[in-house]
Amino acid sequence: MLLTVQDLHKTYPSGKHALKGVNFEVKEGEFLVIIGLSGSGKSTLLRSINRLIEPTSGRVLFLGKDITHLKGEELRKVKRQIGMVFQQFNLIKRRSVLSNVINGRLGSLGTIESILENYSDGVLADAYKCLDTVGIASYANERADSLSGGQQQRVAIARSLMQNPKLLLADEPVASLDPATSNSVMQYFEKINKETGTTVICSLHFLSLVRRYASRAIALKGGEIVYEGAPSDIDETWFKRIYGEEAEEVEIR
Amino acid sequence: MSDMIVPDKVPNEFVASTGMLERRLRFVKSALLDTFFVFYSVIVLQRAVYYRFILDLRDFPFSWSQIGMVLALSTVAGFLWTFSRTSLSCRLFGISKNDKITKWTVEIFAWFLFDITFIAGWIVTRISIISLFSPDGIQGAERLFSALFHPQFGIFDDALFAMIETIYIALVATLISIPLTLLVSFFTARNLMKDSKITFVIYYVLRILLNFIRSIEPLIWAVIFSVWVGIGPFAGMIALLVHTIASNAKLYSEAIESIEPGPVEAISATGANKVQIVWHAVVPQIVLPFLSFTIYRWDINVRMATIIGLVGGGGIGNLLMQYQGLARWREVGLIVIMIAFVVWVMDYLSARIRESIY
Ligand SMILES: Nc1ncnc2c1ncn2[C@@H]1O[C@H](COP(=O)(O)OP(=O)(O)OP(=O)(O)O)[C@@H](O)[C@H]1O
Ligand SMILES: [Mg+2]
Repeated sequence: MLLTVQDLHKTYPSGKHALKGVNFEVKEGEFLVIIGLSGSGKSTLLRSINRLIEPTSGRVLFLGKDITHLKGEELRKVKRQIGMVFQQFNLIKRRSVLSNVINGRLGSLGTIESILENYSDGVLADAYKCLDTVGIASYANERADSLSGGQQQRVAIARSLMQNPKLLLADEPVASLDPATSNSVMQYFEKINKETGTTVICSLHFLSLVRRYASRAIALKGGEIVYEGAPSDIDETWFKRIYGEEAEEVEIR
Repeated sequence: MSDMIVPDKVPNEFVASTGMLERRLRFVKSALLDTFFVFYSVIVLQRAVYYRFILDLRDFPFSWSQIGMVLALSTVAGFLWTFSRTSLSCRLFGISKNDKITKWTVEIFAWFLFDITFIAGWIVTRISIISLFSPDGIQGAERLFSALFHPQFGIFDDALFAMIETIYIALVATLISIPLTLLVSFFTARNLMKDSKITFVIYYVLRILLNFIRSIEPLIWAVIFSVWVGIGPFAGMIALLVHTIASNAKLYSEAIESIEPGPVEAISATGANKVQIVWHAVVPQIVLPFLSFTIYRWDINVRMATIIGLVGGGGIGNLLMQYQGLARWREVGLIVIMIAFVVWVMDYLSARIRESIY
């Protein structure tokens, strides 16, 4: 099992109980999608997996190892193996596309080496290969913030690929993109998942995207899992149960 | 719509809901403020109006026992006045009566305070229309102005060297300040230091220290250092350096505190260590503001360097003091013109450079 989440709870210092006992497992090579309303705890769950935040109780096992309360160097070693893509891309705006991508390798580079930006040919070659995977190698020397939203997200994906991740997390990666661009960005996740067998866990808002890309889906509601299964089984009844009676499905192609 | 709270209902509910303690506290605050108002009015009336205008004394008599008596009487008056709920302080703290008399007393007393303050200010600063327009004075000023506008170029070489010294004092102080300020500013940025107790204590102590250093003017630092390292440009340079570090560290660390957290999070998610996170996610977001602050500070430092010379910090200010002491106004005129020119050029340059980097 690549990832096991056991009875995971997260209570923020503000007192908000954002995760209330979440259990699930992820096998290698899966494309797991997490759905749920705003505030249902999707980001909190993803951040607990790569330990951007520390869960309050429960366990997260990554490759069989308990990583729930790791600290320091050991935690960084785990983070190195888990890539993450964010809704807001989170690139360093004033730096070039290439240096943004190389940033993905920081975890395995020496401190001095990375500060002097004295990268070996191997690292540079890897960076170009990652850019090539997402089809924007020709933009390598542009400033990151001169690219369009879709392109910036592809740079962010390339950055996470530099980690050679065993697991790729994506927190609403297409929520700030238009429908057509969303689809093209999702296709890169699909490609990475299919071609390199990298496991992907991704939170999404549109059910049409979920049905198209997910091999399995989990639905969160108020910090609890209310649905787990094949995306094709999410019918009208389930939809209303996850998103509330008022909700209506919108189509995106 | 009719269910909505009518505006004037709100204060009543508010008053009803504030506790007994809260109202006692307001009473005490208001009584103390009234005491001060009464005390202030009596003292100003006595000294400014009675001594000055009625008795026309030159030296005002002063005794602590008299002041103490006024204070005691004012305290009684202040408390009584607050007790009547008609005073200005009652209105300020929201515990006054709501009738016509109160409104009048408050308004009249506020005007009264304003007026006596103005009168006191007039006397304290010794405003004198007569001396402003006395023929003797005007003649002197004319002589000075004409000297300033007919500068004596004989000392041009000396003045030029002194000016160069001044510019270098400012430049060196600014340059040396950069690495030191950078180092300090990371330790005084809340978002980087709040994680552990030890770093937070460092943050706190440094902040207090910097505030203290900043609150002392560069002119005073120059006095201190001209005793410490001897009169001359070195003293001026260190004085500027110290003040520059303290002021810019505050600006720098505010820039660090306002960076976007997203990129920092993204870099830390790659497994980068703390130093790498700062270098690759924090630094790129702050170089431009840092550069801009530093150039602006160079501009300020040139201005200050001219002043610092007046108290032994070297450079053009030093020369200005010498010729002013000798009453050689035409030489002073040259120096003043040179200072104005350099300050204007610096101002223009720093504005242009700062514009072009954004
Ligand atoms: N740092 C925080 N401190 C306090 N409460 C937080 C914090 N982050 C999230 N929360 C709260 O926890 C709950 C879950 O938030 P989370 O961001 O995980 O939801 P989400 O499903 O990702 O929503 P969205 O679709 O809006 O991103 C929300 O009620 C949110 O207000
Ligand atoms: Mg979220």
